[in-house]
Amino acid sequence: MAPSRGTQGTQALARTLHVTLDGHKGPVNVARYAKGSAKYILTGGQDRTVRLWNANLGTEIKAFASHGYEVLSITVAHDNAKFASSGGDRSVFVWDVATGVTTRRLAGHMGKIHVVEFNEDASVVASGSFDSTVRLWDLRAQSRQAIQVLEEAKDAIQTISIDSTTIVTGSVDGNVRAYDLRKGELRSDFIGQPVTSVVATQDCQTLLVTTLDSHLRLMDMSSGKMLNDFTGHTNVSYRCRGCFGHGEASVVCGDEKGMVWAWDLVDAKLLQPNPPPKVHGKIITWTEHHPNGEGEMITASADGTCKIWRHPE
Amino acid sequence: MSTGRLKRKLGDLGVDTSSTKANETFCLIGTPLPPLEKSKDSGEFVPIWKQDVRDEKGRRRLHGAFTGGFSAGYFNTVGSKEGWVPSTFVSSRNDRAKQKTTRPEDFMDEEDLQELKDNRNIIDTTDEMDFMGGTQAEKQRREGADAENDSIASVLEASMLPAPKDSAGARILKKMGWRIGNGIGPRVSLKQRKLQDLQAFTSQALSGDDIKVADDEEEASKHMYAPRDTPVIRFDRKDNFHGLGYRPGMSLNESLGVNGGKSSSGPNLSAGFGLGALNDAEEDDLDVYDGASSLRNRVAYDIADSQNDDRMSIGASSARGKTSSRSTPGMFNDGRLILAGFVASDKPVLEDRWYALPEVPKGWKPDPQRIWEQGPEKENIKQKSTALPHQEWKTSGPSADERGAMLGETPLPSAPRSVFDYMSKKDRERLKNIASGGAPTGPTPVPPVSLTVPYLEPHIASAALRGFQPFTSDPAKQSRYTSYIQSQADPTAYPFSLKPLPSQRMDEFNKELQDYSKAAQIFKPVSGTMAGRFTSATVIDHGPKIHEGLHTPSVEEIAAKEEEERKQKEENVSPKVHAARMGMYGPMTREMKPWQPARLLCKRFGVKDPNPPPEEEAAAPTFEPPAPDASFFATPVVPSTSERRDLSNIGLGEDESQGKDTLTYERPSMDVFKAIFASDDEDSDDEKDGKKDEEDEETEATVAAPKDPIPKDPVPSQVSGPVDMSTFKPMFIPREGKEKDKEKSKEKKKRKKEKEKKPVLVSFAMEEDIGSADVPLPVKKKRKDKDKKGRAKAKDDDDAMWVEKPAPEVVKDMEFYPPQDDDSTMAIDGSYAPARGRKRAIDFM
Repeated sequence: MAPSRGTQGTQALARTLHVTLDGHKGPVNVARYAKGSAKYILTGGQDRTVRLWNANLGTEIKAFASHGYEVLSITVAHDNAKFASSGGDRSVFVWDVATGVTTRRLAGHMGKIHVVEFNEDASVVASGSFDSTVRLWDLRAQSRQAIQVLEEAKDAIQTISIDSTTIVTGSVDGNVRAYDLRKGELRSDFIGQPVTSVVATQDCQTLLVTTLDSHLRLMDMSSGKMLNDFTGHTNVSYRCRGCFGHGEASVVCGDEKGMVWAWDLVDAKLLQPNPPPKVHGKIITWTEHHPNGEGEMITASADGTCKIWRHPE
Repeated sequence: MSTGRLKRKLGDLGVDTSSTKANETFCLIGTPLPPLEKSKDSGEFVPIWKQDVRDEKGRRRLHGAFTGGFSAGYFNTVGSKEGWVPSTFVSSRNDRAKQKTTRPEDFMDEEDLQELKDNRNIIDTTDEMDFMGGTQAEKQRREGADAENDSIASVLEASMLPAPKDSAGARILKKMGWRIGNGIGPRVSLKQRKLQDLQAFTSQALSGDDIKVADDEEEASKHMYAPRDTPVIRFDRKDNFHGLGYRPGMSLNESLGVNGGKSSSGPNLSAGFGLGALNDAEEDDLDVYDGASSLRNRVAYDIADSQNDDRMSIGASSARGKTSSRSTPGMFNDGRLILAGFVASDKPVLEDRWYALPEVPKGWKPDPQRIWEQGPEKENIKQKSTALPHQEWKTSGPSADERGAMLGETPLPSAPRSVFDYMSKKDRERLKNIASGGAPTGPTPVPPVSLTVPYLEPHIASAALRGFQPFTSDPAKQSRYTSYIQSQADPTAYPFSLKPLPSQRMDEFNKELQDYSKAAQIFKPVSGTMAGRFTSATVIDHGPKIHEGLHTPSVEEIAAKEEEERKQKEENVSPKVHAARMGMYGPMTREMKPWQPARLLCKRFGVKDPNPPPEEEAAAPTFEPPAPDASFFATPVVPSTSERRDLSNIGLGEDESQGKDTLTYERPSMDVFKAIFASDDEDSDDEKDGKKDEEDEETEATVAAPKDPIPKDPVPSQVSGPVDMSTFKPMFIPREGKEKDKEKSKEKKKRKKEKEKKPVLVSFAMEEDIGSADVPLPVKKKRKDKDKKGRAKAKDDDDAMWVEKPAPEVVKDMEFYPPQDDDSTMAIDGSYAPARGRKRAIDFM
């Protein structure tokens, strides 16, 4: 599965700062790679804007300013033609990237929307909110109503991961719920701690679950068993989104002290350097690895910057 | 309106009013800075020539002539450039009624009006009727004049009493028909009334003969009149220095005792021009309006003058003035001011009278003990005697009837009628006899009741002792009850020792004992076998133990409670949480439940509906019994369909097959067309997909079928319901993700296609044959089907997940099965007839 898995050891994390994106005026809440070759980055911050960056040059291409409140989540469509963002203003904004205007504003949630996620062909966007519901919106038809509302969660939804047939949600009530569309089944795995992020592997068999007890857990989706437990960092009160490293051979997560931690996926050992250097002034809210495995990684932080990390040339 | 104007203005300036920036709303927080130009007095020195007068709105008051400008009156006085415009003449001939009188207010500006309003004092807030003494103030004044009335008392009274109102008596009188101004008493005739009038004026006794009633009052004298009000004789106190009998304003003649008053009988001439002394007074010259005042003007000595004189006297005026009658309110005699709200008393301060102390008898010693001892009882007894509850009070005095009897009144006719009144005399007597013979009743004084202890059989009593205790809520009563029962159960061991309670009379005590005996009889336990079936209920009154005072838990208590809570919480933790805490994720922490994704969602995700809509589901059970037995064959599908009543067959009445042809007609024909004309590569995502399980079952059934000796066997079951068709629809691979599946099956499909196509073609080609030779064909086909189905099953095995449906076969099966002896199949067959005809036409083309 992972290209580098076979090679001896896991490839070291890209820890050389390539460029710093510091256009945001407040904490950066989310940073996402574009789809495809992923040459662009979208960041959303407390300053109510979504910004589009060139990842290679570090230049800001565009700022999308329509949000009235902070931006908490961004998701990019498969064709890079549109993206959706959400935040404090209780509606999901669907944007046209080229024109920079919102094509839809999907209102219906009662609280701030922590997460939005497209499905594979961006025909449905799922939004999870503080009101503990997940709403699934149809982007093909012009309907204003959600297709379906998933109300099983008892507390705020913090994260959603969608693969081809399953919608996985992580909630503050400590549950990871997998809605299997094919089987018509809801599997809820009780983690016991507020879940802040859920990232699925490419094969959709395992989930990386970040919880507020400074743990990252690798869960088996089919059985609900815990495959690995990654600890060492500090994450007790904020959403620090972790991710898989290059080739899904490692697990990477920023913590509340501004350090980026990396573990080996298989034996859950901390990779060197241990402890890692402090690279951000404040908590790292979002860590995302380049989707095509080029050894590139972005971190977004509450200190207002977003940093792109690469291997030294 | 103003926003509209603003918007227009902004539009003129080239500002986009619809942009978000222009539509932003702002709110001001805090106090704005003072304007740069000084509009208010800033405390700086301004020379007089630079000062200007402004009104409260900041407008300049003086213009024009005062300040050298031309605009006097224009800016803030008259309000028009032309200044005052004289009102043009308008004829008011037509609307004279409407003509408005001009008031001074019409010509006043706002300042004047404000001034007027300020000056207007609220005159009278208590506009209440006060018929006896005029207004309160007047009454007060008169009372103040009275020497008898203490001035302080009157002031106090005036300040404390509520505003004058009708007295209760006046109110009663009014209700009885009295009106203000009338006297009290029976109505009088006109003559009497006149007499009263005279008496009131002359204040001397007159007889009725002195009054002559005029003739024209004949009519009036027929009525009775309310009497005249009784004049209240009021003696005015003499408080001036005039001589006795002199009234201020008396004419000289009057004062001399001469009847000079007659002069007033002549007409009053208006004092004016053109009347000489010798001129006769004509009507026009009579002074109509000037009555008393003109008369007073002519008197030599006027009261007003006298008062003026008083005031204008020279010397220590205030002191002299005071001595005159009574001190002016507000000043003491020595001229000092009296405190506000007080009035100087006219009376000299009374000397306190002192009485000598009584002589203390010799040998008397103070002994409070004596009083204390008798103290409380004395008071209590008194209270008891005074305050009676209503019930006692009602019975204590004589009743109305008794009083009436005492006074010798005839009893009221509406005496209460008893039952006896309606009885015949005989019956009454008989009843009386019975009554007298029976219990001693009647109002005869009850002799002192003796103690009667009701007898209870010892075995009942002993049973009751063991049985239900009725008075558990009242321990005292319960103990009395038990002691009574004990005494009854075993008189020797427990002699009857109950005594009436101190507040209990003997008959009440008897009653209580009787109650006890009754209770014992009721509550004795059930004997025999029944007893085992009941358990006696017990009333336990254990209320929460109440601690008095504020609840102040100690630290240990709180800690203990918290500890307990924590422990309880830990105990309450579900196994799921426990497992999660232990890190034992897996089946312990997993919860599975069915979830129904919305159909649209499935469509968007490219996933088939896991639980297809109920109408398709309903089809499955009808199919479920494969029923390969002969009996089922013999009695074909009808019962199975008639059992299930769902939407698809409601409204068909008894005839189940009614309209079935139309149902069956449409669907298979579509499939057939598809199988024939559509290319196999074409996917139709939006087609509803059948359920996989159903397919499996179905293939199972069809595979099982050949084993049966009767080859036509599965046919009826398949044809059985129109709903089956839906499940037989071809399955298409819905997702791109399954591309390779598709690929894999492609060549298979191709092979199959050939095979499928052939039969289909054959089928259409053989239509003519069907007409001629019905029976042999199915057998032939069946065999073909058989191995095809076998293949289908094999294919199922190799990709169990996504089944490429051998749908056309089924369709064919149905289509080309010749008519059976079944009605429904007949119908189906019939339904195909038109289709066949049409197809044939196409074929020819």
